[in-house]
Amino acid sequence: MLDDLRSMERVMANDDIKITAKGVDVYYGDNHAIKDVDVDIQNRAVTAFIGPSGCGKSTFLRCLNRMNDTIDICRVTGDMLLDGQDIYAKDVDPVQLRARVGMVFQKPNPFPKSIYDNVAYGPKIHGLAKNKAELDEIVEKSLRRAAIWDEVKDRLNEPGTGLSGGQQQRLCIGRAVATAPEVLLMDEPCSALDPIATAQVEELIDELRQDYTVVIVTHSMQQAARVSQKTAFFHLGNLVEYGDTEKIFTNPEDPRTESYITGRIG
Amino acid sequence: MFGLTLIAVFALGLAMFLTARNRAVALAGDAPQMLHSRPNYHGLLAFLMATVAGMAVLIVAWTLWGAWIESRFVAHILEAQPELSPIQFELVLSDARAIAEGGIASTTDALREQIATEIGGQTALHHYGTMILSLIAAALAGAWCLKSAHVGWRARNRSESIILRLLALMAVIAVATTAGIVLSLIFETLNFFNKIDWQVHKFLFGTTWSPLSGVQEGKLDADKVGAIPLFAGTLLITIIAMLVATPIGLFAAIYLSDFASARTRAWAKPMMEILAGIPTVVYGFFAAITLAPFLRNSGESIGLSIASESALAAGIVMGIMIIPFVSSLSDDVINAVPQSLRDGSYGLGATKAETIRQVVLPAALPGIVSAVLLGISRAVGETMIVVMAAGQGANLTANPLEAVTTVTVQIVMLITGDTEAATAAGPAFTLGFTLFCVTLLMNVVAQRIVRKYRELYD
Repeated sequence: MLDDLRSMERVMANDDIKITAKGVDVYYGDNHAIKDVDVDIQNRAVTAFIGPSGCGKSTFLRCLNRMNDTIDICRVTGDMLLDGQDIYAKDVDPVQLRARVGMVFQKPNPFPKSIYDNVAYGPKIHGLAKNKAELDEIVEKSLRRAAIWDEVKDRLNEPGTGLSGGQQQRLCIGRAVATAPEVLLMDEPCSALDPIATAQVEELIDELRQDYTVVIVTHSMQQAARVSQKTAFFHLGNLVEYGDTEKIFTNPEDPRTESYITGRIG
Repeated sequence: MFGLTLIAVFALGLAMFLTARNRAVALAGDAPQMLHSRPNYHGLLAFLMATVAGMAVLIVAWTLWGAWIESRFVAHILEAQPELSPIQFELVLSDARAIAEGGIASTTDALREQIATEIGGQTALHHYGTMILSLIAAALAGAWCLKSAHVGWRARNRSESIILRLLALMAVIAVATTAGIVLSLIFETLNFFNKIDWQVHKFLFGTTWSPLSGVQEGKLDADKVGAIPLFAGTLLITIIAMLVATPIGLFAAIYLSDFASARTRAWAKPMMEILAGIPTVVYGFFAAITLAPFLRNSGESIGLSIASESALAAGIVMGIMIIPFVSSLSDDVINAVPQSLRDGSYGLGATKAETIRQVVLPAALPGIVSAVLLGISRAVGETMIVVMAAGQGANLTANPLEAVTTVTVQIVMLITGDTEAATAAGPAFTLGFTLFCVTLLMNVVAQRIVRKYRELYD
């Protein structure tokens, strides 16, 4: 397992904290899904959430941009600060929050619109472009950022649903980037993709950290090791261990983390 | 007699079932697992063979024998009185039947009496003969099963193949009936066009509808069968109905699928579907007795003259009737838009309204369009409401406050009126055929759209 680890530079752009969670509990009805989680997510770095299925990592990720608000029975308590501001405060509009904290989902979900309109959707609703020329520019920049521009530049008016799975996922990443978020949340972005598309998306994630704070949930420990600088290991709703990726994978402190990364649990 | 024979054949089949099953049990003896087919399949095969053979013989013998008897009487009457016209001919025959059954005939004469006595004897022979024939056929088929049965007898496979054929037969009957109805519509339509000397354009584009006023010597006056006022009336009422049904139905569907809480949906949806269960005749008299006078009175109070039978009243009530069709179909397609699309939109910071308007509705649009098209085809074919509330006079107007008439209303008038059927049938069938073409086209288009939509998400 450890042989797989690709050595990579783990230079942080800076050490400041983008998101702070303190004593966060999440309940789905009577089910206590997340138990007293404290975590500091670093700015301009990739943080990976790993852990066995049902451990709560996706649930926690969805708390970071209040996507859980759309589920009636879900309740979140504790402090969740973005740039020091409580995102669950009464005066925070989840819609505005989600413009700052974008999200890419497990299954590619392009809208049944043209490729261009998929990317232009966010900028349009947030009024980021004054005119068509600016919008064109944002679309091109976002698609370039998502490393898919060269593949789609001649077919921007074709439906986004007609692309291959890997292209669709990169289109979705481009779509999320287009709204100029500060944080990008990715919920198992490669689980529906083949190895080649996965490699492309991973490369993209690594590039994205120059400009964005990226939080990624993944089932693949190799992926976490390849793309992230920080790793958090969740187990049964608890945050077991959080630290530098290299340390988690080479010298974990908690025996449960070690069991998981060596394949004994999960 | 026919029914009695059917019951007898069926009873014989049941007896065959029990006998064959017992025989199979006996054949197997101590080793039931040696049987290729379970005893019940032996019984089922015997039952199917007996009843199918019995019924087939019954139907064939009954009709052929009956036709043969009929032809003999016809020959007989022709021989005696060759100068009779076809109608008088039928009269003689029906009189003779009436006498034979002890009923009242129009006149009694020697010929009729003679045929009557013959009919009595022949009919009894016919009835008992077919009964005996079919019972014999059933018994033979059952007996063949009993005789052939042995341990390795493939009763299951055989009975399954019989059942398969019976199912196919039922499917053929359903399809053939449809084809038959369509063919008779086409035939009567051509017949009607023949009566107006193939001036089809006068039917399709003429503006005077009074088909029964120009009848002479089997011909209709082509200038009086212009169906445009009917088409226009249908169109006007359909437009009013869809103006009512589309927004209410669609917005209700959006509210129910994306905004309402689970508890609201739990009672609101069934309530809307109750609307679909109200008989159209109730809507009809609601329109005629409640809404039309209300519209008339409120029109008067603001200085508008609204006819007591108006396109508006009929259209509004028809729209109410169609709401549940539009809303429940739209609700289905809106719910079929994957949650992942909504999440994707929310994840980009879109509000619920933006998500619905820009993601959910475009994705569901084909389904919504087909829901509306199905609603239109309901509206075009709707009869009771317009019969009661829209009026009968074929006047060509685009004013919804006046009385108009529709295709369906005119069909009802033609068929229930006191004109003889042969004359009234032509225009009625032709209107029916036109209606059929329009609704068929609408349904085909709607289904195509739905199919195209399904390919997108499965």
